[in-house]
Amino acid sequence: MDVDMIFKIAAIGIIVAVLNQLLIRSGREEQAMLTTLAGLIVVLSMLVTQISSLFTSIKSLFGL
Amino acid sequence: MNIISITMIGIVTAVLSLSIRRYNGEISLIIAIAGCVIIFLSVLLNLSSVFETVKSILATASVRTEYIVILLKAVGICFLTEFACDCCNDAGQRALAGNVSLAGKILVLVTAIPLYEDILNTVLSLTGGAV
Repeated sequence: MDVDMIFKIAAIGIIVAVLNQLLIRSGREEQAMLTTLAGLIVVLSMLVTQISSLFTSIKSLFGL
Repeated sequence: MNIISITMIGIVTAVLSLSIRRYNGEISLIIAIAGCVIIFLSVLLNLSSVFETVKSILATASVRTEYIVILLKAVGICFLTEFACDCCNDAGQRALAGNVSLAGKILVLVTAIPLYEDILNTVLSLTGGAV
């Protein structure tokens, strides 16, 4: 069971939030926005593989 | 996975999600969804033995296998719909959640329509074709 994924996502979130604050403080709003977007995409791609495994297991289990 | 670890995963995920919400709302939602997916996956693996038992019981009761397939499909659609509905509700999108719920209800109805036809045919054969 990969409970580690929750902690990974939380760590990415904290890092992205810190980077966001740092870049905003140094006056680079566009880069801050892009960093947030990149973090979101990374986390979403991690989640999508997990959701796809959930869906395949539901499909095989319930015969959908 | 036993119930203690599942409850602990739930509590830890809730705390993590709540503590990140202030800084990064999207990732907070994604943490919650990831926790849901992980708990759901770990429970589903236990469910297959239950299904085997239900199938064998219904087979001894000589219930036709098509009915069991329809039953399992309806249960699966309900699980998936509930999952998606709760995720949408978490994101604050109540309209989306309502639409997903409606879609689930309609698809369960569509899945169960052959059963209604069978019941109607049974009734017709009992009354000898006279309505």
